Amino acid sequence: MSGVSHPPRLTSASVLRLKREGGLAHFPGLARPRRLDCSRFSEAQRAELQRLLELTVESCRGDAEPEGADWRRLQLSVEDDSGREIWQLRAIEEAVPMALLEWWRRAESE
Amino acid sequence: MTCVAGPQTFLPPYLLERIAGSASPRLRESARRTLYEDTHFRARAAVSTLPPGSTVRGRPARYVHDAQQLRTLPGELVRAEGSADSGDPAVDEAYHGLGDTYRLFWEVFQRHSLDDRGMALVATVHYGENYENAFWDGRQMVFGDGDGELFNRFTIAVDVIAHELSHGVIAYEGALVYSHQSGALNESLADVFGSLAKQYRDRQRAAEADWLIGAGLFTDRVKGRALRSMAEPGNAYDDPLLGRDPQPGHMDDFVETQDDHGGVHINSGIPNRAYQLAAVALGGYAWESVGPIWYDTLIDSRLASDCEFVPFAELTLDNAVRRFGSSSRQAEAVREAWRGVGVLP
Ligand SMILES: [Zn+2]
Repeated sequence: MSGVSHPPRLTSASVLRLKREGGLAHFPGLARPRRLDCSRFSEAQRAELQRLLELTVESCRGDAEPEGADWRRLQLSVEDDSGREIWQLRAIEEAVPMALLEWWRRAESE
Repeated sequence: MTCVAGPQTFLPPYLLERIAGSASPRLRESARRTLYEDTHFRARAAVSTLPPGSTVRGRPARYVHDAQQLRTLPGELVRAEGSADSGDPAVDEAYHGLGDTYRLFWEVFQRHSLDDRGMALVATVHYGENYENAFWDGRQMVFGDGDGELFNRFTIAVDVIAHELSHGVIAYEGALVYSHQSGALNESLADVFGSLAKQYRDRQRAAEADWLIGAGLFTDRVKGRALRSMAEPGNAYDDPLLGRDPQPGHMDDFVETQDDHGGVHINSGIPNRAYQLAAVALGGYAWESVGPIWYDTLIDSRLASDCEFVPFAELTLDNAVRRFGSSSRQAEAVREAWRGVGVLP
């Protein structure tokens, strides 16, 4: 996970996609991508999301692929107003702040 | 169910900060924990040095820790080798599950812990809040309490405990690369020894076993029996939230995917079913029939870390011949089992 790039600045037109995968078993229902439409959030919430993405990037920096098995991962991507993916990150869940996992729980399945 | 972490309820951190200073002690505690977590989660590094192992062959050295709903490892030591039941079901299930797994490897395969040199068996329970997973981090096992909505605590199933520990054995022996077919073999071997630990503990014959991995993990709300079925891959669960069990039981249905490290928990259904077919065909106790063949294969120096299904099947067959003879019923059962799942012609 080295070479992780800084997340783009979230605007009201940004869409954040979150996909949780891996773990002791693969559950297709839980692994479906979920989306967060920034247009539906207040400025404070968007700032919060921005902060959480930056925290995740910070936490992933310098981490090698961990040893072991059955880790869960969160795949994050941001799309701009034209629907183009402009940023992506795949992090082990241990590097993801709890609050961002809460956003995942709340996000709508696609 | 707490207010900040349940699937139906959600609060962003700026509200958490408000709650952390609010009236309800329960809400306050929960919010404080989540905030603490997020400012300290860089401290997630696992145990850097393991505690002392066991110098006596035949005796394990168990250490069970309590993470107290945080995500820091290993947490506080709450039960060490030889101490009495703690009264906390997760702690005691982990302790006994480690013992059951140790006993299988020692009594059946004369293996003294994961590395055969008495390595300490370390587990952490109550990991994270509403955490619905268990994993092996390369040195120790980690178990969540489940969310109570879909999942119970992950120590409830001894085969899941043995599955995680077996990843440790596999890392010491085959070191099968954790992606695509070699990863599916890694997962399958963890299920094989997971199921063996349960059958050995319960003295179950192949015909009596349920061949389920993780029975008891789902709450009553889930339409399903377990995480996986070795006898009927693809039929363990079919639930509106979890989806449908994606495991194939035959090469015709092999799943090509980039998800799940190339389907390691998906395509493991195929070698799982081959093992189960051989065990049932031979009858009796699996740890006396097909289990030793799979163990011989795991510790076979010819097992390549990037091994795929066909060479793995051939290696099990070769080990069946070595142990029981070329015209033995064991060798025949193994050959037929791999044919049954479409791996061997
Ligand atoms: Zn596994």
